[in-house]
Amino acid sequence: MALSNSLYNTFFKRNSVFVTTVFMGAFAFGIGFDTGVTKFYDSWNKGKQWKDIRHKYVEES
Amino acid sequence: MASFQVVKKAVSLGPTVRALPSGIPHAPLLNLAVRAPHDAHAHGHGVQPRSDVAPRWAGGASQVGSGLVSKTFSTIPPTINHQQRLMHTSVSLKNANETPDFSAYRHSNTDSNRALSYFMVGSMGVISASAAKSSISEFLQTMAASADVLALAKVEVELASIPEGKNVIIKWRGKPVFIRHRTQDEINEARTTDWKGLRDPESDDARVKKPEWLVMLGVCTHLGCVPIAGRIRKGPAPLNLEVPQYEFSEGDEKLVIG
Repeated sequence: MALSNSLYNTFFKRNSVFVTTVFMGAFAFGIGFDTGVTKFYDSWNKGKQWKDIRHKYVEES
Repeated sequence: MASFQVVKKAVSLGPTVRALPSGIPHAPLLNLAVRAPHDAHAHGHGVQPRSDVAPRWAGGASQVGSGLVSKTFSTIPPTINHQQRLMHTSVSLKNANETPDFSAYRHSNTDSNRALSYFMVGSMGVISASAAKSSISEFLQTMAASADVLALAKVEVELASIPEGKNVIIKWRGKPVFIRHRTQDEINEARTTDWKGLRDPESDDARVKKPEWLVMLGVCTHLGCVPIAGRIRKGPAPLNLEVPQYEFSEGDEKLVIG
């Protein structure tokens, strides 16, 4: 009960704070979502991407 | 008076003793309001109107003075509400629409419900805002140059292969680019020229990043001739040869144009 009350009083009570929080959350969510999807994609396609097999074909000079 | 009261008491008497001159039978002590006796024959219903008496709206006998009048209505009077009544006479309900009572399911403290509701609204906002942002940025990325175009847009030149005092002409974005490895004499000459008196005054330092390498776009700004010199000395060309964007990389061994 105290948690929900403090949550309400911190974020939801003032619309300006609410909207700001929403936009900040959207920004953070976008970054986190992109990072997570990329990580998942890389792990799913492990060993198939060029960056994984580049060392077999390209010798660093 | 007491004797009169005794006389007024209803007695069983023949209903008509005599007739009045008007023809109405004279029945002075007839009690028309008499009810059935309150006894076992009433079947526990209490005092009821007599079943053998016609209802009052149909007519019936009444006393007028000491006379007895019997009326029978051929038309029944309309029923008129003299008292305003609601739809029903039972106790009025607070919940007139009879919606179900959810009070048993309601939480006594609604703080957590409120916080959860606002949280869901905010989550919806977060997701839709990020969806809108990514839609817009993806759309703008379709306008950006693709990777193959960007790869064509840059040209690498090995500078070690150009001896001093020689030109190299390479193709960059469909246009020739002159790269001249200038000798020290040429540099000195370019610097000492009175460039302020030229048609397009531009100092030599402004046109090169390193004095021994002069990089120019090999298209005459007059679009009619192949130039030899980098700067306009005389002739119809309005401007000096354009200098493309370039930079040196890998320890000044390579020149990247683009």
